[in-house]
Amino acid sequence: MLSLSCEKDPEVGYEALPNLNERVLAGGETTVFLTSSNAFSTPAANLSGSDLNKHLDGDLQFESVFVSAPSEINGGVGPIFNNSSCVACHPKDGRSAFPSNINQISGFFLRTSLPGQAEMGGPRPVPNFGKQLQNQAIFGYEAEVQFAVSYIQRPEIFGDGTKVMLQKPVYGIAESYIPFPEGALLSPRLAPPVFGLGLLEAIPAFYILSNEDVNDSDGDGISGKANYVHDPISNTVALGRFGWKANTATILEQCAGAYLEDMGITSPIFPTETGMGQSNGNDGMGDDPEIALEVVDEVAFYCKTLGVPAARNLNEAAVQRGSQLFESIQCAKCHIPKMITEYNPIQVLSNQVFYPYTDMLLHDMGEDMADNRPDFLANGREWKTRPLWGIGLTQIVNGHTHFLHDGRAKNITEAILWHGGEATTSKEAFKNLTAEERSDLLAFINAL
Amino acid sequence: MKKIINSALFIVYVGMFFVSCSDTDTQDENPDNNQSFYKEVLSDLALNVITETYRSLNAQALTLQNAVDAMSVGDENALTTAKVAWQQTRAPWEQSEGFLYGPVDTEGIDPAIDSWPVDVNAINNILNSGNPITQSLLESNNEARGFHTLEYFLWGLEGTKPASALTNRELEYLKAAAANLQSKTEELYSGWLVSQGNFAGNFINAGNTGSIYASQKSALQEIAEGLSIIADEVANGKIEEPLNGNNGSAKPEAEESRFSNNSKLDFANNIRSIQNIYLGNYAGNVNNGLSAIVSENDSSLDVEIENLITDAINTIEAIPGTFTEAIINNREAVAQAQQKVRALQTLLDSKLLPLMSGL
Repeated sequence: MLSLSCEKDPEVGYEALPNLNERVLAGGETTVFLTSSNAFSTPAANLSGSDLNKHLDGDLQFESVFVSAPSEINGGVGPIFNNSSCVACHPKDGRSAFPSNINQISGFFLRTSLPGQAEMGGPRPVPNFGKQLQNQAIFGYEAEVQFAVSYIQRPEIFGDGTKVMLQKPVYGIAESYIPFPEGALLSPRLAPPVFGLGLLEAIPAFYILSNEDVNDSDGDGISGKANYVHDPISNTVALGRFGWKANTATILEQCAGAYLEDMGITSPIFPTETGMGQSNGNDGMGDDPEIALEVVDEVAFYCKTLGVPAARNLNEAAVQRGSQLFESIQCAKCHIPKMITEYNPIQVLSNQVFYPYTDMLLHDMGEDMADNRPDFLANGREWKTRPLWGIGLTQIVNGHTHFLHDGRAKNITEAILWHGGEATTSKEAFKNLTAEERSDLLAFINAL
Repeated sequence: MKKIINSALFIVYVGMFFVSCSDTDTQDENPDNNQSFYKEVLSDLALNVITETYRSLNAQALTLQNAVDAMSVGDENALTTAKVAWQQTRAPWEQSEGFLYGPVDTEGIDPAIDSWPVDVNAINNILNSGNPITQSLLESNNEARGFHTLEYFLWGLEGTKPASALTNRELEYLKAAAANLQSKTEELYSGWLVSQGNFAGNFINAGNTGSIYASQKSALQEIAEGLSIIADEVANGKIEEPLNGNNGSAKPEAEESRFSNNSKLDFANNIRSIQNIYLGNYAGNVNNGLSAIVSENDSSLDVEIENLITDAINTIEAIPGTFTEAIINNREAVAQAQQKVRALQTLLDSKLLPLMSGL
């Protein structure tokens, strides 16, 4: 039935490109048809039996709040941490808002490193601070740092004269438990949604690499570069897929890393407290690992098997016009609509056609977005193309529209205006659209 | 949280997508009437059930704060009054868990009010420190504030703590925690009030500019899904974990309100939350709930849902003794209550949600 498109529509008058009807199923057969605050938090539609049970076990773990050890239940948070449960940073499996007070418990933190590369090619940890700064501590311990942020006004003016004032955040360290080294690099992060991750993990590497154009040999101004990272679980070099700079190979590693660095919870994958060796880093309990591998595995499975919300309103004329603009101003060059999977051990993820709107590759996003902190092959100006699926539901699910790696964009228009580097031509084209065309483009993006 | 059945929704949605390509919308024979009817239901639920529940929560939290302020070491009567006030504040909170969307979630109020488990080490460390115990100290400790922290102080770990065993330092903590709870409930109530945060407006004006819901149907779906989610949470979380969390046998430490032995009432009030939204009733005030829509479309389903809600509440309340005892000594009765709640969730998923999607 979906293939019955509205071809007769004379009002639009464009050629039949792209065929939006097939894109309703944003997550292939995992797609869920919800437009409520639960749109990101529902099991894949095709999940059943023991897989569904495992997902629901993972759901419980995702919501578990950790407290300081020893405790008869959920003990082990900290001693230094950023938050105390998965769901606190990924509310309703969605996106954190930028906190009103940067040091309150939230889904925001700063990464850090020294210039250069560590042994395996990753960032060089800052002695006594590591690679992630924990701004919380259990009572009686001192957090590593308190964050600071100030803003620089950066105006953008559309072709039609409309002005938008962007706020460029500048981060720093307000306090630290021991002096924070001069010259250490800082890079902000705000927690993104966690649905659909199994599909992204299951895209065949060749499919991603087919869009690579590291030296821009086709001369379109857009490169696309894969990150290759050290995968600590298999101890091999692997294609980076997750994290804002594609610095993580697997969801399992991402989850174990989040337990350790975000919550201070050790697991068999990362059995040493993040602050071990620091004066604030050892709880002295000798209780590591604090959770079983099974727990990390269930949470990883949960994230992999959350359903993707269906696209909406794709038959509306404005949305269809917007989809044309999305192609013509070359958003779709990096936010590539369609991806596929082949066989996957998780059956519901096998052989899917889906629409995440990402190429999974790194792109130079320009000076204003640069964090100047390299992460494996990603240089200080490069970021991974974010998926756009579900973006139009952010307000309903999370009550805000703070986008990009640190939530600096307060709506989709601002997010587009922050694009620079390889996306400069597209951004300029966006700025030269008429107000009505911009509204059409936003209608399309909000339909995803 | 949310084992929402999607297959039924899928069929309806695909159907709609197809239909919407045609020139006329044949879904609805009488769209104008339905629009005002749905608006009435959405307004009643947003204003007279949800906002009213939060008004009551905030009023009770203020009573609780006053009761805690009146406590002193050794005053058993004041302790009893505070315990009763805690339970009377807990009731509207549990009756609000059928609608955990909006400010309660987006403003981080749920974890500030109802974080569980309690961080006993953090509490003891705070007590033993020289720091003045203030609301702002507690602000950075979700796991050491809210209902369960207050419960821990009022009842003690064994549920039998006398007022003579309280210390002045504990009273200082209690007072800060009660004040903090009240400020959070006030924030929540304000968040929904039309004259303030007006989250209620999203439902009242659903489908119009200014509402986050693109259609009335979408707003009604949100409300219906909330009912399924709390039924799931009660059956498969709050009851399942203490009953079977230890590889099929009891796991007493997984019981939420065990210091106060309030769990049975918590669960029953969660189901009353479903009842209030379904019938549109709160505190004896009769309005239009989802039932008004269901009865127009499928009157036998309406009766079935109503009866199963009542049945679930009765079966929970019929569990003998405390929940803590029952998961050991009356496992069958607990399992029966769990079964009823599961049946309710299944009915909501298989019949109510598809009905709402098909509007």
